[in-house]
Amino acid sequence: MGRSFASSLNTQGARRSFAQETVSFTYIDPTGEEFPVEAEGGKHLLDVAHDNNIELEGACGGELACSTCHLVFEEKIYDKLPPMSEEEEDMLDLAFELTDTSRLGCQIQVTKDLEGMTVRIPDDGY
Amino acid sequence: CFSAENTDVSQPRLSVAVVGAGPSGFYTSKYLTSAVLHRIEKANDRNDKRDEGDAPALAPFDWSGIDIDILERLPTPYGLVRYGVAPDHPEVKNVEHDFAAQFETSNNNPSSSLSFFGGVEVGKDVKLSALQSMYDVVVLAYGCQAADRRLNIPGEDLEGVLSAREFVAWYNGHPEFGHIGTIVKECLWGSSDICDVDDDQVSTAKVVVVGQGNVALDVARILAKGKRGLIETDTPSSVLEILKGGASHVSILGRRGHVQGAFTIKGDSHRTMLRAKELRELTKLNKEGHNAKLIIRRGELELGMNDSSVAELKGASGRPKTRIDILLRDSAVSETDNPKDEAPKTVCLRFLLSPTSIEAKDSDGGRVGGVVCERTRLEGGPFKQNSVSTGEIETLPADLVLTSIGYKGMPLEGMKGRDQFDHQQSVVNNLHGKVTGDNNLFASGWIKRGPSGIIGTNIMDAKDTVKSIMMFIEENGRVRDEKDGRRGLEKYLEAHETVPIRWENFQAIEVAETDPARLRNDAQPREKILQITEMESIAGILKQ
Ligand SMILES: Cc1cc2nc3c(=O)[nH]c(=O)nc-3n(C[C@H](O)[C@H](O)[C@H](O)COP(=O)(O)OP(=O)(O)OC[C@H]3O[C@@H](n4cnc5c(N)ncnc54)[C@H](O)[C@@H]3O)c2cc1C
Ligand code: FES
Repeated sequence: MGRSFASSLNTQGARRSFAQETVSFTYIDPTGEEFPVEAEGGKHLLDVAHDNNIELEGACGGELACSTCHLVFEEKIYDKLPPMSEEEEDMLDLAFELTDTSRLGCQIQVTKDLEGMTVRIPDDGY
Repeated sequence: CFSAENTDVSQPRLSVAVVGAGPSGFYTSKYLTSAVLHRIEKANDRNDKRDEGDAPALAPFDWSGIDIDILERLPTPYGLVRYGVAPDHPEVKNVEHDFAAQFETSNNNPSSSLSFFGGVEVGKDVKLSALQSMYDVVVLAYGCQAADRRLNIPGEDLEGVLSAREFVAWYNGHPEFGHIGTIVKECLWGSSDICDVDDDQVSTAKVVVVGQGNVALDVARILAKGKRGLIETDTPSSVLEILKGGASHVSILGRRGHVQGAFTIKGDSHRTMLRAKELRELTKLNKEGHNAKLIIRRGELELGMNDSSVAELKGASGRPKTRIDILLRDSAVSETDNPKDEAPKTVCLRFLLSPTSIEAKDSDGGRVGGVVCERTRLEGGPFKQNSVSTGEIETLPADLVLTSIGYKGMPLEGMKGRDQFDHQQSVVNNLHGKVTGDNNLFASGWIKRGPSGIIGTNIMDAKDTVKSIMMFIEENGRVRDEKDGRRGLEKYLEAHETVPIRWENFQAIEVAETDPARLRNDAQPREKILQITEMESIAGILKQ
């Protein structure tokens, strides 16, 4: 519902409209440590994590074939994300510690919608 | 960064041997290196702070760095990523780049190093006990590729019955499974000379795959695609020459219903599970031009949908299973439809059939002819359903049978009997990766938890083991004698006339495999070298 209009417009126009702008948000790693980042619009959250030396695996290099880039969003942000493809859903099924607001980091692009959010790297227990 | 104290020679570096260069070996190396470096940094912080007069309570750390040696029985690293993951899933194999990069990351830091010893089989070329005395810590990450779980039904040893493990290793060019090609060729093409068979010709042989996990779906897909469908992958050319146009009839059998097929039950690591990813690929075979149609019988789906199954689909945990249910229903046909008209090849996903024996062909007593199955029925409450026989028998004709009910871990030669290996579960006896008993042995990956899960599952598994290793080295400190580590291993191998394949040697093999002159077309990622002797000669290794 909330994911429909504004967000799909954002993803499509992402490169153009946000190329110069940056969005600030925070990754939280499994130990609870916070990593604030400034990210360029249009970039994928997996790459943003790597650019900032945040430990998030991306075994398949963002090809939607591993689910190691699993991220957990705040509900209000999750609702604004563009809908999942079948392939993302299939991979996500295999992710560890799956939640109702889980997505794959290599599939989510930075948009203004993410401004100020916190996104969690799931706690795998160790 | 790291101050000069780190390289203080009075503080030795932790020496670690990792047995097996698969995902679990690489992930354990990666997380152990980062845990040790992090611990050194913290110890330094504490020293710095103490100068300022406020020392947080943290025990000193005995090590100034970490050196990890990965020992691998094959000349090539990457385990099942190279020799298990299907060749038409190159994106899954991308993780190899990640693993290779660890050599750079680790060796660029003066406090850590990573080294590769290929062609060294632990238990044979070097004794496990010798390794344990040379290194501070030994991690067993040797996987479950040496054996299969068996069906334990009559006829399992007939000619033409292979395990999916053998078939997979063959189509991925594993150097020890070339002989499987001869068997597959006989099953698919009889006594015909393969040179006379047209590239696009479809074999009329009937193939029965027993089991419905991702491996079963992988082998069925490969058989359905055939040469043309795999021409741009790293499937060896010699394999494509045997597969030709693929097989016309592939059936994949499951003992349970389609809803139960989509479950993994905690604690039962051997259970194979129907996965949406590989299933969806089968539904798309025809659309993607492989001339193969997936057939699911509507009647069998209905049979499995009793009240308990309906209940199992409910709730958040039912979501993935509901998606599989819908996917299957969308592709299902009724018994009266005739999908044979639409495509020359069919892949049939069958449910509620339990194989009871494998029959020989009448004409040839030693060769497989069919799989005898009992129709099963589900009984019991939600999540507790068992499949019980209805007494109804169905025999599926078969020229090739591939059993795909699980890989099986085996003890390493020299392992201490029942203490260190759990023969029931076929895994190394361990608690959070610490091998039972007073030793410096640890386990990670498939040989620690059993042959299940995806590559990513080995990440948290490795972290669990790393946590145990860190506890062990903090507790034990430097009580043991100083270890020779890498230098010790090099001397040992030299004394035993074993010449290891080092990382740069493997890189020479990679260069040869990706040489455009070897490739069928521009898209083929590599043409694997299939003989160990050829790999050794390319690597410049001279064996006496
Ligand atoms: C057919 C198949 C397809 C798969 N497809 C996928 C997929 O698409 N996606 C996915 O995420 N996961 C997939 N998996 C799962 C994935 O491959 C495993 O989770 C992973 O490989 C397990 O890693 P491991 O390191 O424990 O074992 P392995 O990968 O088996 O590695 C063990 C290594 O140890 C070596 N070794 C064995 N004995 C010795 C010895 N005595 N001395 C030295 N070295 C030794 C072996 O040669 C091997 O290189 C698949 C598995 C199979 C079987
Ligand atoms: S990096 Fe593999 S699915 Fe995202």
